[in-house]
Amino acid sequence: MTDQTLLTTTVGSFGKPDYLQKARNQHAKGKLDRAELEELEKKATEEWIRVQEQLDLDILVDGEMYRGDMIAFFAENMEGWKIGGLVRSYGNRYYHKPIIAGKVARPRPWTVDWWRYAQSLTDRPVKGMLTGPYTLLDWSYNEAYKTRRDAALALAEVVRQEAEDLQAAGARYIQIDEPAIHARPEEIDIAIEAMGIVTQNLKAKTISHICYGDFAAIYPQVLELPVDQLDLALANYGYRWLDLMDRHPFTKEMAIGIVDVHKHELESVDEAAAGIRRGLKYVSADRLLPHPDCGLKTRPVEESIAKCRVVVEAAKLVRKELAAVPA
Amino acid sequence: MKTTVIGAFPKISDEPGGQQLRTALHKHDRGEIDDAGLDAAYDATTRAAIAELEEAGVDVVNDGQIRWDDLFAPFARAWSGVRRGPLERYYDNNTYFRQPEVSGTISSDGRTLARDWGLARSVARHELKAAVCGPLTFATLAVNTHYRSLEDLVLATADALATEVAALGKAGATLVDVEDPALVALPQHVELAREAYRRIAAAGVPIAVQAYFFPADRVLESLASFPVAQVGLDVRSRDTTVLRRLDAIKDRTVVLGVVDARNTRIETEREIAQTIEDALKLVPAERLWVAPTTGLEYLPHDVATAKLRALMSAARSAGGVPA
Repeated sequence: MTDQTLLTTTVGSFGKPDYLQKARNQHAKGKLDRAELEELEKKATEEWIRVQEQLDLDILVDGEMYRGDMIAFFAENMEGWKIGGLVRSYGNRYYHKPIIAGKVARPRPWTVDWWRYAQSLTDRPVKGMLTGPYTLLDWSYNEAYKTRRDAALALAEVVRQEAEDLQAAGARYIQIDEPAIHARPEEIDIAIEAMGIVTQNLKAKTISHICYGDFAAIYPQVLELPVDQLDLALANYGYRWLDLMDRHPFTKEMAIGIVDVHKHELESVDEAAAGIRRGLKYVSADRLLPHPDCGLKTRPVEESIAKCRVVVEAAKLVRKELAAVPA
Repeated sequence: MKTTVIGAFPKISDEPGGQQLRTALHKHDRGEIDDAGLDAAYDATTRAAIAELEEAGVDVVNDGQIRWDDLFAPFARAWSGVRRGPLERYYDNNTYFRQPEVSGTISSDGRTLARDWGLARSVARHELKAAVCGPLTFATLAVNTHYRSLEDLVLATADALATEVAALGKAGATLVDVEDPALVALPQHVELAREAYRRIAAAGVPIAVQAYFFPADRVLESLASFPVAQVGLDVRSRDTTVLRRLDAIKDRTVVLGVVDARNTRIETEREIAQTIEDALKLVPAERLWVAPTTGLEYLPHDVATAKLRALMSAARSAGGVPA
């Protein structure tokens, strides 16, 4: 890293290359064994690490080549879960919504080997990536626990074990995503309490990604979420959540989404840089991290790279401006 | 006492042959089938949904809203002044809808649901009801750049809905659900919605206000005097005092959500029957209908049908208990 201001990063997922998507389909049909699939997952992970280095991103991710989605992956690897039938997400998109059917437990670490592998490929820091307990609960059916709080706290205990193992393996950044945190604003205390369990023993930098929902309904309470950095989708919302910070100052580091990941059109560097400048009104440059709004797995590979390039160029542009101004 | 359903039914299932509509939509996207081919798939799925509801024994069925991508889609597509905007999460569901973008005066030709209704009517053997989106829910989830206030938007939406309801009435509908979770999500706006319902009711067709996802504790008395024939209330999915206060609703039918349509755990017959029996202490059987708490599409198909079976058998067993 050349500069400790406006460090650039991404939210977590990247698109799977065609050969990996095909291999996953083959594996699902029983035509490709686990070891062969894993080789390809590793190949794709390495490719994404190289791409991120070439783009000159500062804090990297493993790209989640080995995950279907951010709930099913954990549900499949945890005890106490069943994978349910298909339900519709929107339009003609369906997913297998998991069911918490019994007491949850972690028989073995899920992501630590993948983190280790990704970190072994690069000198730049790679984030450990987990789904937070409140989101695991909210995006599943709960048949097992009497209350939603009971379920969230039990899940928190399991996520805590994984987060601590990531830290023990050497992760300096651990991201525990809570995109569902505003699903029921009246339950924000449960999300905060659960996150407290996850992060209680962590010295690593902790991050939580929040997207798609009514951020105003949970602000400023969300500042009590016990993590160092909130990672926010802002471009998609025309940066309107920043207005909330006029009344209640933002008190954490902010990863700021400056390109919209759910539209094909590519933002200009100037447009993205304007987003960073808006963020700088509320968060200082050493605590502001430009990135795309959300995970990029729904974007074609080339589009993802183009979006990330805009982020990096915009950060460089604004860094230059900051350097030109005497402090 | 009658049984009914509200909202959407699962469009596909995990069973063999259960994904025809999903496949047809993919083929349509790729240009492999034309609009007529896609229509045929929608129609077949609609027929199958109605048949399933009737085979389960549901007294008053709907068409399963098979063509609806979300609660607003048919209206946002058809109405002038509105188009379908970006995706947003739908309340506390991990489900997304396209925000209606209102950039001009809303108006409807009343034909939005004509085709769906005509098909359902030709298929259904049981009593059939129609449905429209709620005016408050539409207005509060829309991106509005045209109307000067929320009130103006709610009333303009209501006028368009009244046109739809009048047309449905002409086509033979005798009951229309108005699905309006915002009434319970945003109880501060319930009185603003009253005038909207007055306008929809003026279309002359009995309407049922369906308020789900959130407890109705704060708006029960208000809803009890809405100009509607039926009031739908969820007494199952969250803690609520509504079940003990149902006597607030007089001279209107209560449509009680007694099985949780957003959780896979199947209620026992005893649990459901107990809820129904509690309700019957405060509402006479001739004014009580029982239903899932919301649309069954929030569940996988196999669980949705299991919920219906549980509802039907509990309704039968509780029905024998005198009020």
